[in-house]
Amino acid sequence: MINPFEDFREYPYKKKEIPLDRIVRAKEKIMDEIVEGYLKLVEEEVKDLVWLVEHSRLVRAYSAAIRTVEKLDYDIDDIEELCLELDREGRIPYLISGPAGIYLSALCNNAGEENIRLRLHELKRTFHFLGYRLPQGKTLILQGDVGDFIGAGLSGGKLVVEGSTGNWAGAGMMDGEIHITGHTGRNMGEWMGGGEIHVEGYIGGIGKSIRGGRIYQQGNLIRPYDRTTR
Amino acid sequence: MIGPRGRKKKGKATASGTMENEEHKYDLMLKDIWAKVRTKHFFPEMPNPTISDSMDRVAMETKSKQITLSQPFIEEAAKRLQPERVIEALLDHGVAHYTYCPWDFHTHLMLYQEAKKVLKDKEMAQKSTDYFMDVVADTHCFKEKETPISDLYCHMDRGILDEAIHALYQRIWGKDLSVQGYEEISRKLSRIPYLDRKPWPDSIRRFSKIIQGLLELEKKSGTLNQPSPMGQNDFGRYTEQELDQGLKEFAMSTGNPGSFSEVVTDFEEELQEAGFNTSSGMGFGPGSPLDADILFYMKLAENYSLPIKRTPIEKSGSLYPVSHSPWELGKPFRDIDPWTSFGKIMPAITQIWERREGDTFGEEEGTPNCIVAIDSSGSMTNPRQQLSYAVLGAACASDAYLRNDAKVAVYNFSDAQHGGRKTLDYTRHRKQIYQSVCHYFGGGTRLDIKDLDSLQEPSRPDIFIITDMQITNLEALISYLNGHENRVTAVHIGENRHVMQFKRSMGIRKNISIYSVQKKQDIPKIVLGKIREYFRSVS
Repeated sequence: MINPFEDFREYPYKKKEIPLDRIVRAKEKIMDEIVEGYLKLVEEEVKDLVWLVEHSRLVRAYSAAIRTVEKLDYDIDDIEELCLELDREGRIPYLISGPAGIYLSALCNNAGEENIRLRLHELKRTFHFLGYRLPQGKTLILQGDVGDFIGAGLSGGKLVVEGSTGNWAGAGMMDGEIHITGHTGRNMGEWMGGGEIHVEGYIGGIGKSIRGGRIYQQGNLIRPYDRTTR
Repeated sequence: MIGPRGRKKKGKATASGTMENEEHKYDLMLKDIWAKVRTKHFFPEMPNPTISDSMDRVAMETKSKQITLSQPFIEEAAKRLQPERVIEALLDHGVAHYTYCPWDFHTHLMLYQEAKKVLKDKEMAQKSTDYFMDVVADTHCFKEKETPISDLYCHMDRGILDEAIHALYQRIWGKDLSVQGYEEISRKLSRIPYLDRKPWPDSIRRFSKIIQGLLELEKKSGTLNQPSPMGQNDFGRYTEQELDQGLKEFAMSTGNPGSFSEVVTDFEEELQEAGFNTSSGMGFGPGSPLDADILFYMKLAENYSLPIKRTPIEKSGSLYPVSHSPWELGKPFRDIDPWTSFGKIMPAITQIWERREGDTFGEEEGTPNCIVAIDSSGSMTNPRQQLSYAVLGAACASDAYLRNDAKVAVYNFSDAQHGGRKTLDYTRHRKQIYQSVCHYFGGGTRLDIKDLDSLQEPSRPDIFIITDMQITNLEALISYLNGHENRVTAVHIGENRHVMQFKRSMGIRKNISIYSVQKKQDIPKIVLGKIREYFRSVS
């Protein structure tokens, strides 16, 4: 009798492991941990799914995010992937732009790399608070339009936005630079204490209470001079 | 040109015995290696591969599942690697495209569609799809089979993108392919789970985004259109049936005429080159430009098989001439056709009429012709912008009658009295029927009963009407249908007071069936010409 499986006698039955398997597995593991950290932050900080922007809340949320991300071993590719995960429905059940931005900022500020580039132009949603408390020595480049409070509390880092921002860009920044190639919304630089903001496009409005720092539009200094722009 | 052993040759005949020996050597080699490769890949249903000495630019190509390897490529690669291993690597690559990625035409189209969403450019999307499929197929081979693909890639000439992709292979296969640089790109690309089919749509979007910069660079330098060394993954690899089936599945999965037509219009030429056509005149052969919207409904309708209740038809008893056949001795003279016999009585030259018995309504069953009346007024969905259930329903009905050897007439109406009407007489020409069904007028809704009546014929055709019933002269339609004995399938889109009025007036008629279509899934529930005991009461 002929064995119908004779031709497969030499077939290697043991699965071969290739580096791709390890890379994908490691990536999945770290992404699970990052997503878990985000969900925990949302659970703790946004109990009723409404997140009010208050200074104390911000500080608390950022501290919690930093505590979480300090334990994680990730790189900029993981941060970029989290942006994609947050943008599509699936792995992450809900996106709340404020805490998501705070969490992403914590990841960027704590990352090993000094230069970080996030490609956001393909995303359907915008994140707030990106670049929050960006420390000295770090450069964060955001490609695409972003939400409100971009570069809030900037702490010496360099933030480049290749697109437009929402309202309150650079609010409460202490030191560092923000470069915006597109337009900005209202209340830009509110409570600003130092540093520079450079805007290439239109400015929707400048904050009323500015304590220090400089604002430039298309290379021209428009603050600290007492002149308002549209 | 095909040689004596199925080898594809250049136009000129081989002169020297050395060349013939060389060819024979490769043919024998190919035969042995093909047997090995087939076993390795679990005996794929593919014809025997061939070797061509006329392919200079690429290593291989696949046409209708048959792989053709380039002899010049093999000879060149054989300087650095054994020719057996070159052939095996090429066959592994070709077979893995067939058995793993893209696997079928539908997956190929889906991958292209996702790449195009990111890259917004046909050539770039095509190139990205090609490379993605290569990475998946090669990685599958490398992981699951014993293959010399990596050895072959070590010695290949590379463009910018090939360098990046080979840098990726280096990283995910753990083999040195002598590529320097492309650290960031290969690192980002290596995170994509190529061997997981489920997230392929997401994976190719990410893949395309990562290589977008290099694609733009190639486009600027004019090298984007050059085929990759391993050959292009064009549509020629699929058979006509596979193209047909792929389009059917793609229409079903997109469910949207806009998305479907965006992809299919991009490949109009490629599909024609690949020989996509159908015998029923529904394809897009020479001189017949592709109308992707019509094709969408055509393919979508093929996914739904509506049943038709057959009407009793019996033999009439009278014979009528149907066709000719050669006259033989002993056959009657009375059936000779002098016009086609050249006036001669001679076996094999003289032609006689073959006669067949005619059909009439009776105890045997048959399918009558059908009048498809479709409302394309402003209250109906424009079929070219969104999926129109009315057009899909009418397309399915037409398809069902055509499949049952009947003819279909179409009456497409909006405000008929002001020119908003299109009438197509009984035909089996599928494309004409779909063109009439897909036509969109917009505007008001008023049908002209005379138009509908002009399509009536003595054999009492079925009437299939699909509308939202917001017809200004609905009473006229009701009274017309009340006055005729045709089997009527009335399909209404949505619910409104006019629908209620129609149902109240027609509900008691046994020759009329009323169906509601709210979603795509309701369409298969329609049974055309289904009548409650109508024929029983008539007989």
